[in-house]
Amino acid sequence: MPFDVTILAPHVPFLLKGALLTAEACALALVGSLIIGLLVAALRTSSSPLLSRAAFVYVDLFRNIPFIVQLFFFFYGLPEIGIYVDAFTTGVIALSIAGGAFSSDVIRSGILAIDTGIIEAAEVSGLSKPVIFRKIVMPIALRTSIRPLGSVFINLVLTSSILSTITLNELTGSAKIVASDTFRPFEVYAVLLIAYASLTYLVSLAIGVLHRRLNRDRMPEVA
Amino acid sequence: MIRARGVRKSFGSAIVLDGIDLDVESGEVVSILGSSGSGKSTLIRCMNGLEKLDAGSITIDDFDVSRPKDLAEARKRSATVFQLFNLYPHMTAVQNITLAPIQVLKRSRAEAEAAARTLLDSVGLGARADAYPAQLSGGQRQRVGICRALAMNPRYLLLDEITSALDPEMTAEVLNILAQLAKNGTTMVFVTHEIEFARTISSRIVFLDKGQLVVDLPTEEFFAADGGMARPRISQFLSKMRKD
Repeated sequence: MPFDVTILAPHVPFLLKGALLTAEACALALVGSLIIGLLVAALRTSSSPLLSRAAFVYVDLFRNIPFIVQLFFFFYGLPEIGIYVDAFTTGVIALSIAGGAFSSDVIRSGILAIDTGIIEAAEVSGLSKPVIFRKIVMPIALRTSIRPLGSVFINLVLTSSILSTITLNELTGSAKIVASDTFRPFEVYAVLLIAYASLTYLVSLAIGVLHRRLNRDRMPEVA
Repeated sequence: MIRARGVRKSFGSAIVLDGIDLDVESGEVVSILGSSGSGKSTLIRCMNGLEKLDAGSITIDDFDVSRPKDLAEARKRSATVFQLFNLYPHMTAVQNITLAPIQVLKRSRAEAEAAARTLLDSVGLGARADAYPAQLSGGQRQRVGICRALAMNPRYLLLDEITSALDPEMTAEVLNILAQLAKNGTTMVFVTHEIEFARTISSRIVFLDKGQLVVDLPTEEFFAADGGMARPRISQFLSKMRKD
């Protein structure tokens, strides 16, 4: 059988629908994991031992469990105790929680790298702790951590393919269906390779733009 | 006034401040001299609440910096300029200066920005108002640091070795501004190694050694042969500093 992608033509709308679902789930999970990451990083660097300990346990827990096990627990485990959530929502939440654990670690190192003198200057000028976090700590930490955060986000996109295991026909799920319908796995998965590579390339392009924007004061040295 | 009574501070087993009494009245310029490790910077950091006192008290206009409730008010009345500038790197000069006036004093953005630009003009940086710290020289950064402190209309300006990280030319830029402020009657506590400059602007000189206040004298008396200079520790220190 020669390589022939045209055979997939009738399945393009179906695959596109899957790709859109992946893009939606990833976009939501990306925002979710960034919010969780910021929150948990703030808790981990807080002066309260209880809060920082709790945040540490969360990060350690979710980084050390395979994502597929977390996902199965949420989707197949929780209904046993009466908690039903649809596959898409479960997927987005699970990705956000897992991504949040990794993001928070990256953001935390960005926070710890901030010169303490800068925070002291903010304190003596009478700014409240929430304002200092919002206006000074967070923006400076994001400047330095946006590149490593990009790696976390790219990983998130790749990991989203696992959502196909909980009945969600996102990109990988749809491709599997098309492959078994057409008996042309080579063509189908070749297209899938390119589709994921394009998606993650888009993410790294966006990260590059953000990085330059956040660090515009020291361009071109850190470009 | 700023009033320090019996201030003690240790880091581990090192005693840094060993019972300091000091008054700074409104309108005074008090320079604090002493060799490195004598406790000068720590004393300033106790005044603005960055270090907790082990014993004794510091009040700014009767607000006790050791009491969290009073500290906020004490910090509204004083402003600090730091040795390493400590500007917010992600903000322009104007944003650095307006952040606290907007957030703490609840000024409108327009009002705060106009005031910031006036301040920057007065230190010769009007044209650099929208530059980021990374785009400014050390002397320019410290001038922004001074504007940031002044924007809070403080009654007391605390200056912590603010020229120690600058070369002589930039030091002159910054000291000129202080001379101007002193002339306008701004109250200053000035921790410094710039002895000659301290001599020209200070009303009083305080000399610290090993965490203790050795002398607290009017400037003329401090430099008089039969005044502070009569003490071997001080004449030794001054002759060493002048050689460097």
